[in-house]
Amino acid sequence: MTNLLEVHQLSLSITTGHILQRKKTILDRISFSVPRGSATAYLGKNGAGKTSTFRLLCGMVRADSGEIYFDNQPCDHGIPPNRFGFMPEQPYFYHNLTPRAMLTGFGRLSGMRLDAVRFAITQWAEKLHIQRVLDQPLSACSKGQIQRIGLVQALMHRPDFILLDEPMSGLDPMGRECVQQVMHEEVQRGASILFSSHILADAENLCDHVIILENGKTTFSGTITDLTTKDDQWQIRCRHGEAAWASIPNISAKKTANQQWLVTCPDRAQRDMLLQRLLAMAEVTIVSVNTKRKTLEQAFIDLVSDPSKKDGA
Amino acid sequence: MNQVIQIARLTFSEALRNKIAYGMLAFIVILLLSSAALASVTMGRTELMIIDLGLGAISIMGNLMAVVFTIQTLQQEKEGRTLYVLLTRTSNRWIYILGKFLGLAAILGLQILLMCLILGSFSALFGHFFWVSFLQASFATVLEVWVVIAIAMIFAQTSSLFLAILLTFSIDICGRFTNIIYHLGAQSDIPAIRIVSQVIYYLLPNFETINLRNGAGYIATYTAHKILLTLSYGISEIGLLILIAAWIFQRRNLS
Repeated sequence: MTNLLEVHQLSLSITTGHILQRKKTILDRISFSVPRGSATAYLGKNGAGKTSTFRLLCGMVRADSGEIYFDNQPCDHGIPPNRFGFMPEQPYFYHNLTPRAMLTGFGRLSGMRLDAVRFAITQWAEKLHIQRVLDQPLSACSKGQIQRIGLVQALMHRPDFILLDEPMSGLDPMGRECVQQVMHEEVQRGASILFSSHILADAENLCDHVIILENGKTTFSGTITDLTTKDDQWQIRCRHGEAAWASIPNISAKKTANQQWLVTCPDRAQRDMLLQRLLAMAEVTIVSVNTKRKTLEQAFIDLVSDPSKKDGA
Repeated sequence: MNQVIQIARLTFSEALRNKIAYGMLAFIVILLLSSAALASVTMGRTELMIIDLGLGAISIMGNLMAVVFTIQTLQQEKEGRTLYVLLTRTSNRWIYILGKFLGLAAILGLQILLMCLILGSFSALFGHFFWVSFLQASFATVLEVWVVIAIAMIFAQTSSLFLAILLTFSIDICGRFTNIIYHLGAQSDIPAIRIVSQVIYYLLPNFETINLRNGAGYIATYTAHKILLTLSYGISEIGLLILIAAWIFQRRNLS
C-alpha cells in the first residue's frame, strides 16, 4: 500500500508574549505517513499538537523545518487546495445562512457545478440525516447538526484526502454510528482519512493505522495491530502443573474458582517454554491458550504513561 | 474569479441577514424625523438642511458600520475556523481578501445608497434641490465607506478585535484632518514637524478628497474633473489598501 501523505521531521514553534518573547515548541520533528485508501487515527492528549499538525497540513501555518509530501509531490505550503476536505473541530459557520445556502457556496467554491452541488447536498443530507434542517438558519441548528453539516462540506467535493478534527465530538451514539458509516464508505471509495479523536473505541472500529503524538513528538506510527500486540501477553489455562512455571521468571499464576490455573506469560518465548514443560507432564490438562490483547485505549494509555517510551519516535 | 465571487456572495448573504442591517433602517427613520424637526426650527431652506444633516449622519453611520462589520466578520471567521475551510478551497489567499472586500462593499454600499435614496425622497417633500449633486455625494459617501472597509481589513488581521476597531477609527478620524495637519505643519519653524506632517499627509488616506457632501443639493452638478479626481483617488486608495491587506494575509501564520 503506497502512501498518499508523508510527513518528514516536521517542526513548528510559536512565539509567545509581547515584550519578553519566548519560543514554544509545538511540534518537534514529527514524522508519519497516511496510506492511500485507509483511515488513520491521529491520537494524543489535549495539547499534544494534533490541531497544530492539521493547521500545517492545511497550509494555515508554515513549519520551521521538515517536509510534507502529498501524492509524492513536495508541498511546503500545505496540501494543495481542493485535493482535500477539512472539517475543523467545533466549527462556526455563518449563523444567518441556511445550511443549504452555505453548502452551495462552499461547493461552488470547490469548483463544482451548481447542479452537482444541489445533488451532493441532497445526497449527503440524506446520508447524515440532516434533511430537516437544510432550510433553517444555522443559528437554529444543534451542535451535533452543525458537526454533520461540517462533515458534508468536507466531503461533498469528493476529495482524495479527508482531514477531520474531532469528527465525533458532540454527536450522540446514533450520530457517531452514522459518521462512522460515512467514513467507512469514503475509505471504500478510495479516499484516505486522517482524523483526530479522543474516543478511542471509535478509532479502533474505523481505522487500520494509528499515529500517537505526545508533547509534540510522534511516539508511535503504524498499524493498530502493531500497537495492540506490541506487548502481548499470553494466558494459559490448565489443570495442575504448578511445578512447570515455578522456575520461569515474570510469570503470574492464579487459581480460578473451578480449580484451574490461569497462567499469564509476558512474552512468546516464555509461553513456549511453559507449554513445553506442561506438555511433558502427564497429569496436566491444558484447557486453553489465549492472547491477552490490549484494546487501543489500553495500548494508548500504556504508551503515553510509560516514561521509557516517551522519547522514542 | 469564480472563487472571489463565491466568497463575496457568502459574505453578502450572511451580512444581509444580520440584525445590524435592520437596525440601519430604524436609524434612517429616526434620522429623518429628527432632521426634519431640527430643520423646521432653523432659518434657511428646510430640504437642504435635511440633506446636510442626513448625509453627514449617514456617513458617520456608514463608517461605524464598516469598521464593526468588517473587523467582526473577519475575526469571527478566524476564531470559528471557517477561514480554514474557505482557504482550503481557494488557490490563493488574496482571493479571500478580495472576496471579503467585495462582499462587504456590496452590502454596505447598497445600504448606504438605500438610506440616501430615502433621505432624498423625504427631503423632496419639503422643496426643490439638485438631485444630481445629491446622488454624486451619495456615491462619494459609498466610496468613502469602501476605503474604511479596506483600512479595517488590514487591522482586522494584525490586531485583536478591540485594538483593530480603535486603530481603524483613529485612521478614519485622522484621515479627515490631513489637510489641516499638513498646513499646520508647513507653518512650523521646526523642520522635523514639517517632515512629520508631510509624512502623515501622504501616508493617511485623505477623506476630504472624496467628500462631495458640501455642495450636495446646493449646486446642479460637480464638475467632471472633480468627479474624476474623487473616483480615481478613492479607487486607487482602495486598491493600495487591499494590496497591503493581501500582502499581510499572504504571510501570516493563521494559528
